[in-house]
Amino acid sequence: MDTTDKPGVNIHNEIEVRPEELEFVPQAPGTVDAEELEGSKSVSPLQAAIRRFWRDKRAVFFLAVVLVILVGSYLFPLIYVHLGPTIQGGITGTQAVPPTQYHDPYQIDLLRSDIPGTLFPLGSQSLVHPLGTDAIGRDIFARLMAGVNISIEVALMVEVFDIGLGILLGALAGWFGGWFGMVLDRFTDIVFEFPGLLLILLIGAAVGPIFDNIFKGQSNIFGRMLMLALAIGLLSWPLMMRYVRGTTLEMKERQFIEAAHTVGTSTYNILTKHIVPNLMSIVVVASTLNILATIIGEAGISLLGAGLKPPAASLGLMIADATSKIYTSATELIWPCVVLVILVISFSFVGDGVNDAFNPRKKD
Amino acid sequence: MELNIPEIIAILLVAAVFTFGGIRIGLRFVLRRLAGLIFVMLGVSFITFILGYITPGSAVDLLCSKCTAAKYAALHHFYGLDLPWYQQYWNFLTNLLHFNLGLSFEIRGLKVTDILASGIPISAEIGVLAVILQVLIGVPVGIYAAVRAGKVSDTVLMTVSLMIFALPTFVIIPFYQLLMVALSQHNLPFLPVSGWGDPIDFVAPVGILAMVGMGFYARLTRTTMLEVLGQDYVRTARAKGLTERVVVYRHAFRNSLVPLVTAIGPAMAFIVGGAFFTETLFNIPGIGFMAVSAIQTKDMPVVQGTVIIVAAAVAIMNLIVDVVYGILDPRIKVA
Repeated sequence: MDTTDKPGVNIHNEIEVRPEELEFVPQAPGTVDAEELEGSKSVSPLQAAIRRFWRDKRAVFFLAVVLVILVGSYLFPLIYVHLGPTIQGGITGTQAVPPTQYHDPYQIDLLRSDIPGTLFPLGSQSLVHPLGTDAIGRDIFARLMAGVNISIEVALMVEVFDIGLGILLGALAGWFGGWFGMVLDRFTDIVFEFPGLLLILLIGAAVGPIFDNIFKGQSNIFGRMLMLALAIGLLSWPLMMRYVRGTTLEMKERQFIEAAHTVGTSTYNILTKHIVPNLMSIVVVASTLNILATIIGEAGISLLGAGLKPPAASLGLMIADATSKIYTSATELIWPCVVLVILVISFSFVGDGVNDAFNPRKKD
Repeated sequence: MELNIPEIIAILLVAAVFTFGGIRIGLRFVLRRLAGLIFVMLGVSFITFILGYITPGSAVDLLCSKCTAAKYAALHHFYGLDLPWYQQYWNFLTNLLHFNLGLSFEIRGLKVTDILASGIPISAEIGVLAVILQVLIGVPVGIYAAVRAGKVSDTVLMTVSLMIFALPTFVIIPFYQLLMVALSQHNLPFLPVSGWGDPIDFVAPVGILAMVGMGFYARLTRTTMLEVLGQDYVRTARAKGLTERVVVYRHAFRNSLVPLVTAIGPAMAFIVGGAFFTETLFNIPGIGFMAVSAIQTKDMPVVQGTVIIVAAAVAIMNLIVDVVYGILDPRIKVA
């Protein structure tokens, strides 16, 4: 009820209705206009996003590339160890060596080191070492695939840590707010001020040996992978937490949350059933970009010698080993770089596609 | 406490920033940022200290390959390594405030500050040149793309520059080195692959860093220019009959400068941090290279020193950028 005290307004003049202007169409209560129903088939935001992603041909293409590489790097080695002729080799130089040995990424054979790729000329020997061997006789193609495996595994471990901690703390900080949120914000600031790479190098040097000894039984590769995943995850989760907190704060004001509150839904149920599912869009986008950053980061850190150590097959390690041999065996340097480039470009385009799918923007 | 030139300059710089910022923007700004800076530095120093503390092996182990137990204990006591951790941290902090970063583990008697002092100018040189080139190339590319938004040239330019931006330097540099090796083997002119000393050694690292980073500025300039070009006052300028060039450069570009300046700040962090991969792969003795070799030889004081210096520099750089931002755009209250 508006009671304006403006001069000149007389309450008796408020409503002036001219009879011919009235177009009163009586409607029975409970009926709905036919036009309203058209096109209102309800689709969840996730389905809408997937549909948009599907329409982006470039993103779909590169997603296919990524999947081929990922699945191939796990499945193809199983076949690869059976591909190829039995060759003369081994420690004495005269033993018969089957492909199960010489296609093993960890099998060292100093007699067959630095062999250039045998793929061309095509012939009976072409599958022996299609991309050559490295400094201590390990097949490069097998190592590439093992390297991709390691990159993906580290990236997944980082994402579990990142998403888990990010959603948990972000949603709590956004929902309850107050000093909890502020403290986490300050903490995030500290992490951002840090030169991230240096911190990971520092962590690697400090606690690396501890992790080396954890899994004493098998090789120490997994220990180092875990350390790297924890270190990278430690640096990534503040960003995720910020995104989640922002989205939660935004959603807190929305009406459907208010409605849920009014009906008496418990806070736990509101958080788990209403807020978290709606976080999916930002979490998916942030995770894809984070996976890309982790793959690059792991390769870089291993290149500098603070990440995975030999005999692990990391793309960064392969680059580091090959840099000294650039004048003699150039191909050893090319292949890990090429694989990294393909992974990076593909993940970039997929990330862009995911971003566009979840946050469609008007054409610039 | 004895100070020398670099410390005096650093203190004067920080004091100048705060005074200037305080006068222009307000006392609350100064206090909040000061508190933030102290908080961040405390956090950084603590984390760095703890990581150094829990590292197995210490200065004494390196000095003392064949010592008797008594001598070992005596050396431990001498270096203060048997004090409780909070006391060691206190010593660490007080040393920091005196700009004493300790002694290197690896080379006897070499102060960490000396190591860093030799590396910082080199990294800074590369970094500053690289940023200048990135901006000089990236901004015009961004303007060009914005003016031709939606056309083929825009898409091509943006895609190419962003692809180069996405590629990590440690992948680009091996390709460059392979190219140079191939050129040299065919008796064609080529640039050096590693080393540092002649001016020509600058070209490759700075060039590669510039190429990689310019995509960032190109995209940023393009986005802000597009936003600005859509504004009403630009339409007015065009309606007034001004030539396109005047509209773009005098009106649109000036107003997109502000986000650009803000973005430069954090991007400059890598000037101080040193571009690790570039330095390592080119064998350039900058601060990044020193930190990496210190990691490999487990020389913890050098690593700790580098982390603290870089974090401090980043924090101060952000502060300066905030002050400049507040000055450039009086509407912004940087509180």
